[in-house]
Amino acid sequence: MSDQRIFTRYKANEIRSELQIVDVKKIKSGVAKKKNALRKIIANLTLGNYSEMLLLLPEILKFWKIEDDMEVKRICHEYIRTIGSIKPRSTVESLPFILNDLRSRNEKVQIMALETLVSIPFSKFSEEAFDFIIHLTNKKTVPEQLMKNAIYSLVQLDDYDHERVMSLLNLLYDIVNHQIEKPTIQIAALNALCMIHDVDGNSQPVHISVETAFNILELLPTLNEWDSATLLEILPITVVPQTHDNAYDMIDMVLPHLQHVNSAVSLSALKMVLYLLNYIEEVNQTIIKRLSNSVIALLEKPAELQFLVLRNVILLLLSRDQSLLKFDVPYFFIEYNDPIYIKDTKLECLYLLSNEGTLPQILDELEEHATDIDIQMSRKAVRAIGNLAVKLGESSAGKCVDILLHLLEFGVDYVIQEIISVFRNILRKYPKDFKNDVKTLVKYVDYAQDTESRNAMIWIITHYSDILPDYLTLFETFCTNVLNESPEVQFSVLTSSIKFFVRYPSIETEKLCICLLRECTEDANNPDLRSRAFMYWRLLSLAREDGSNVTNEILKDIVDGELPKIELNTKLDPIVLEELELNVGSITSIYLKPTSQIFRMSSLKSLPNSPVLNSDKSLLNVIDDLRSIGISNSNDRLNGKNHNSNKNNNPVVHTMSDFDKPAEKVNHLKGSRKSSISSPSKLARKPSMLMRKLTLKKKF
Amino acid sequence: MISAVLIYTPRGELVVSKFYKGSIKRSIADIFRIQIINSLDVRSPILTLGSTTFHYIRSANNMWLVTVNRNNTNSAKIWEFLYSLNSILAMYAIDNSESIKEQFMLAYEALSIMLLETGVIVDTELTSVVKQMSQKPVRPELIAEESTSSRKTNSSNHSNSGSKVFPNFLKPNAVNNVTRTLSTSVSPKKRNKNEVVLYVNEKINILVAKDGSILKSYVDGSIDLTSHLQGRPICQFGINDSMARRAMPRGAETTQSIPTSAATSVELENCKFHQCVDLDKFEQEHTVNFTPPEGSLELMKYHVSKDLNLPFKISPTVTIMTSPRGGLNSCGVDFRINLKSLFPSKLSATDVELKVPVPPGTIDCEINVTNGSCKFIPEDNVMLWKFNKFQGLTENMLSAFTVCSNDTTELSLQQWSRPPISLEFELLMFSNSGLVIHFFNVLPSRDSTVSTRTIKWIKYISKSGAYEVRY
Repeated sequence: MSDQRIFTRYKANEIRSELQIVDVKKIKSGVAKKKNALRKIIANLTLGNYSEMLLLLPEILKFWKIEDDMEVKRICHEYIRTIGSIKPRSTVESLPFILNDLRSRNEKVQIMALETLVSIPFSKFSEEAFDFIIHLTNKKTVPEQLMKNAIYSLVQLDDYDHERVMSLLNLLYDIVNHQIEKPTIQIAALNALCMIHDVDGNSQPVHISVETAFNILELLPTLNEWDSATLLEILPITVVPQTHDNAYDMIDMVLPHLQHVNSAVSLSALKMVLYLLNYIEEVNQTIIKRLSNSVIALLEKPAELQFLVLRNVILLLLSRDQSLLKFDVPYFFIEYNDPIYIKDTKLECLYLLSNEGTLPQILDELEEHATDIDIQMSRKAVRAIGNLAVKLGESSAGKCVDILLHLLEFGVDYVIQEIISVFRNILRKYPKDFKNDVKTLVKYVDYAQDTESRNAMIWIITHYSDILPDYLTLFETFCTNVLNESPEVQFSVLTSSIKFFVRYPSIETEKLCICLLRECTEDANNPDLRSRAFMYWRLLSLAREDGSNVTNEILKDIVDGELPKIELNTKLDPIVLEELELNVGSITSIYLKPTSQIFRMSSLKSLPNSPVLNSDKSLLNVIDDLRSIGISNSNDRLNGKNHNSNKNNNPVVHTMSDFDKPAEKVNHLKGSRKSSISSPSKLARKPSMLMRKLTLKKKF
Repeated sequence: MISAVLIYTPRGELVVSKFYKGSIKRSIADIFRIQIINSLDVRSPILTLGSTTFHYIRSANNMWLVTVNRNNTNSAKIWEFLYSLNSILAMYAIDNSESIKEQFMLAYEALSIMLLETGVIVDTELTSVVKQMSQKPVRPELIAEESTSSRKTNSSNHSNSGSKVFPNFLKPNAVNNVTRTLSTSVSPKKRNKNEVVLYVNEKINILVAKDGSILKSYVDGSIDLTSHLQGRPICQFGINDSMARRAMPRGAETTQSIPTSAATSVELENCKFHQCVDLDKFEQEHTVNFTPPEGSLELMKYHVSKDLNLPFKISPTVTIMTSPRGGLNSCGVDFRINLKSLFPSKLSATDVELKVPVPPGTIDCEINVTNGSCKFIPEDNVMLWKFNKFQGLTENMLSAFTVCSNDTTELSLQQWSRPPISLEFELLMFSNSGLVIHFFNVLPSRDSTVSTRTIKWIKYISKSGAYEVRY
């Protein structure tokens, strides 16, 4: 393309000379060279070479005057925007040129000029922009794109001059309510309004009447994909259904858009439907099926979008009762090629989807991944198995524990460590059920190397010392080098030694206890550890004193009391969930955190009040769609449902052989296996053969 | 609203930076480079620092396409946009670091069409973007491919990256452009063609567990369209969707009571349509009505997971054993794999490729196959069993034994993670899901000048998605 590379740093002088040479000879090849030089300016701006490029402003202005080519125009505007955002004042000279472009007949040039005005944070520029926008709104026929740009420019200008934008808001409201014939403009205005309000914490959220909403929704099928996405995204909250019928009608209008191929549209449609579900009494079975299916279908998108959808699945599973969503477990099985973030998220989905019925299927899958090559992945799988045991009832826990014990034999460090860690949780939930397995687990005491598993191991040994005859020897492996342990482990070692002493007062336990207390009070650097050790020491000596009211019983109660059962709490705060549901598909839905935690400026979204707002999500009834056909049929349907749930209990899994057909032609193996290493040809290997072939040829 | 769009080369050089919001500092580009590109262990396609969020994707040539956002935007919009941008870059062949450094203004131009100058996405439909660009695309054929390549890039990346590398065109592409314009715009007029082709593309995904039970199986299908129709006629087609049956009286009962009849209709679990399809019509009548724009596009996508027609059966037997020949390093893995085609014998699959992973440390494989050719590829630790053609209802066998390096022990073989065996194939005129297009009408357009007969084609192409068997 050029003799010189474009993407390198240049001095202003070099580019200037290139531009001037071209001025002299006005031939066609000169135009290309000139453009190339201009491109170099943009490349240098991208590289961050601002100070040099700033010197070229006069040259740029010169070209602006004479050139009509779109690319040159684009370069000029891009240049002014970049320089303008760094040094606004220096670009004042270009203002007349921009204004000139603003009056151009070419819509594209006008748009460019408007945006250049808006992008420079300097009052002279924004004044002009305001004037132009007001001028546009007064005109009768304005090209659509230009009007759209003007509307969105207001959002940009809001950053510089909030007061003035606020005074123009009624113009936007006007467009939303009255310009029915131009839905794109309407949507742009509505969207701009929402964005301006989003940033401004003080003002009330935007509202439009149900009537206007219906008018716009009617046009939904004719809209471009991005307009539909925007509309469906902003309609929740901005429109509040006043009657159940309002909500039902809106759902009917939105439903077809769940099938849009653009995931932005279908996710926004999902969000809209979810929002409307808060304003109706009962929901049809088919709707639920369509919602779930549309979510599943999005899982065939590229990885990043899959990730977004899966995060939203987590959100839905957390916020809605399972009855509202029907997902088949196998869709969340992990594929070998999935990127790591998808694998992680799928694991979480599987965990949330689990119940008595789906457990066997899920456990099989998790076991598969517990031996995955990726360390984090396999740890997470093991952790998920453990969490399932805690989440579900005792009978399911047994299955989980069986698998964990089986995995112990796999013999890899990090898997065993993770198993030890989760086993503590299981034992805390079911203290009696898995007593026998403790002995097996304790055999792996040497594997416990990281903080969490060491901690867990110490707790297990201490808690089950009554069934472990050699508990002291096991425990001593942790005491030998207590000062080099992490603080958490130091605390557990100390506490456990006291527990042993209180439980079985003997010479060995006393010796161990004293030794540790001394080490922790005299040699330890950690003040917390020292003070805890002192506390125990004083407590023990208090119990020894005659006449003190601390008896052995009380001491035991303090040191070795009953622990509360643990519960896994995966539920989020209902207010947070409500807000997240209004943000389906957005960035916060990925992080599953309240918007205010990520975006400081934004205000909390909540369901607007209406006479038909459901006070509680669980009040929503799910009705069967076949009810109208007749009672007998709906009974069938119910039976069918039972079948389904039975299926879940004993999943009817197809096997490959179900699809088998007899082959018409069977090729059998002949000869022996051959090494795949490409061997030199047979002829070369056996020179005698070669000779014979040659001789044969000679004969003929 | 997008605050900025950034494009980096694979090595992390910033080549395109378009800022939409004046309040964003330009140094933000360096932050992304430090946090993501230079970081080795990244576990998310999105990064939020403070209230600034980066969404990013990688192109087939490992370019970084990034957006910067300052508010709580809809991420689906952003990623959909990035993938469209990616396709545009590919079409103009500026998807590698050399060419984009020369032609970066094209990227700016494309951005100015796809986004408003305020960072609001307006139009990403490839055909319409190309129409508004000042230049013709270098690879217009990618419009049709766009749908297939953008989907599931994660799985196709490794196979495509090799073949898709475009030669660095050092010459100016002016010449190239002239010929392209001729071939795309002039020739159809000359031939006066009035034809429309429907492609039913299906990808079957299946995951089989060790015991042969099918963990999951589903078909991702799409109906693609290439149309060169005169006038703007309305097209209409019907599919054997079970929902359509149910709409008829008593249809529901028959499909439910006689399971075998399921073969004649397909339960589409979800379909997604291109924006030119009349969604309400599908809702009411279950026919797909549309007015196709000129060119290629993906008309409809669907998903089926019930009553599939599996095209291949793979039954592996894998055992760890000592070598039959003895010797120093005597342990290895013995593979016996039976590959059987289940589709009618009149059809034959092409490009059948069975990938059998072998344990790391394998130095050689002793292989015997009944047909096709099988090679051991040491770099990837796999055996590749290839067939140019695989007849229907045929059974083939592979028997192989891996020879391991000296330091491999039986224990390490047992701990081998065993990635699944995977199969790739392409099969014409076969439908994995059983989906059939019942009728396909092009309603005569009002424009009476068009009198040529319309040529209609329907092609079925079944391919493998992730066809995997654990063992």
